[in-house]
Amino acid sequence: MNMGIIARNIFRFIVLVLLQVLVLDNVMINGYMVPYVYLLFLLLMPFETPRWLQLVAGFLLGLSVDLFENTPGMHTAATVLVAFLRPHLLNLFAPRDGYEPETFPRVRYYGFYWFLKYTLAVVMIHHFALFYLEVFQLKDFFSTLLRVFLSSILSAATIVLSQFFVFRE
Amino acid sequence: MRTLLRLIQKYSNLLLFLFLEAIAIVLIVRGSYYQQSRFIQMNRQVTGFLYDRVDGVREYLTLRKVNQRLVEENSRLKNRLELFSGQLDTTRVLRVEKGAYRYYYLPARIVHNSVYKQYNYITIDKGKKDGVFRDMGVVSEQGLVGIVLESSNHFATVIPAINRDFRLSAKILSSNFAGILYWDGDSPLYARLSEIPFHAELTVGDTIVTSGYSAIFPDGIGVGTIDAFSLERGNFYDIRVKLFTEFQSLFHVNVIRNYLREEQLQLEENTR
Repeated sequence: MNMGIIARNIFRFIVLVLLQVLVLDNVMINGYMVPYVYLLFLLLMPFETPRWLQLVAGFLLGLSVDLFENTPGMHTAATVLVAFLRPHLLNLFAPRDGYEPETFPRVRYYGFYWFLKYTLAVVMIHHFALFYLEVFQLKDFFSTLLRVFLSSILSAATIVLSQFFVFRE
Repeated sequence: MRTLLRLIQKYSNLLLFLFLEAIAIVLIVRGSYYQQSRFIQMNRQVTGFLYDRVDGVREYLTLRKVNQRLVEENSRLKNRLELFSGQLDTTRVLRVEKGAYRYYYLPARIVHNSVYKQYNYITIDKGKKDGVFRDMGVVSEQGLVGIVLESSNHFATVIPAINRDFRLSAKILSSNFAGILYWDGDSPLYARLSEIPFHAELTVGDTIVTSGYSAIFPDGIGVGTIDAFSLERGNFYDIRVKLFTEFQSLFHVNVIRNYLREEQLQLEENTR
């Protein structure tokens, strides 16, 4: 059971990174926005994952994307931040009786509305860190903010939709 | 001692978080060194190979558009050939000697391309084994593309005109005023030209070409046309340039090798 979960997560990691760098990075809308769907890996990690493992997984995820995209450490910084904040966000959005054992953070267990809130929060934090690190200055503060919002909506929409079509299991 | 250990244990996750973020920040800050590290060279071989495979599909899907462009370029070149053939003295024997070719064009294919980021890079499928080295110019059949940044044995990365680190001397074709071409990170369709003095006469639609001062590009390679301009603080124009090259649908490029570049740089170095 446990080994099955680990294997499934490793498989998901590889599939999502390849999907991101080989397919989705070539999808551009208005020349501005890219759906960063690889975050789905962090979103779907089991509730019980030890925190150090979440951080290391986030680090490896960002580093893999960085290597392919030729960006120095920007995705890494953003994903480590998200991996660190995820348990707090999960607490924030927890249902009244907490999370049941043997369940996963998915639409199937906690509903569409819960998953949308959770995804939006994670994606926003990630994009905020990523875009501002990329610009690395506050000169274009508002145009970057606009990009953060538009891209977040696109990424979150893609991630949530993928739950109904591709990554149902 | 025990309290210290307990403290470390209590905050171990926070410490791990800070440690990992520190690695990421170091990578970001040392960005330019990172480009040259051995690790990245190795990685480039792997990613280059992967991108090579996937791009085959993408290339196939845009064949029609690429063909169209090649046909256009062919006819343009034929017209120019026609223009010169009248001037050629066919009675004289043409001698090809060393140094007769100043520029040599080497065709290459793009295997990876990004346009939506602030620091965009292009990977091409020609490297050191094909004679591609740092600081060589890259052009497409439409016009200026960028400058080679690093090369491994079979691949090279190009820093395109739509990267915030890109700087190149460019001039206005009609008046020969030269300025600095750069990118403001806004749209991949437009670049900016600065340091054109206020007494230059500009018209929207004027052509911008490379100046040839940098010894990277020959003189007169098309960059774009003036889209809009304004006077920045009185002394210099701030010009928005509509780029000729469509970076989003770029596949075939030419790398320019300047045989006299070393000689020119050497002389300039000695004079200084």
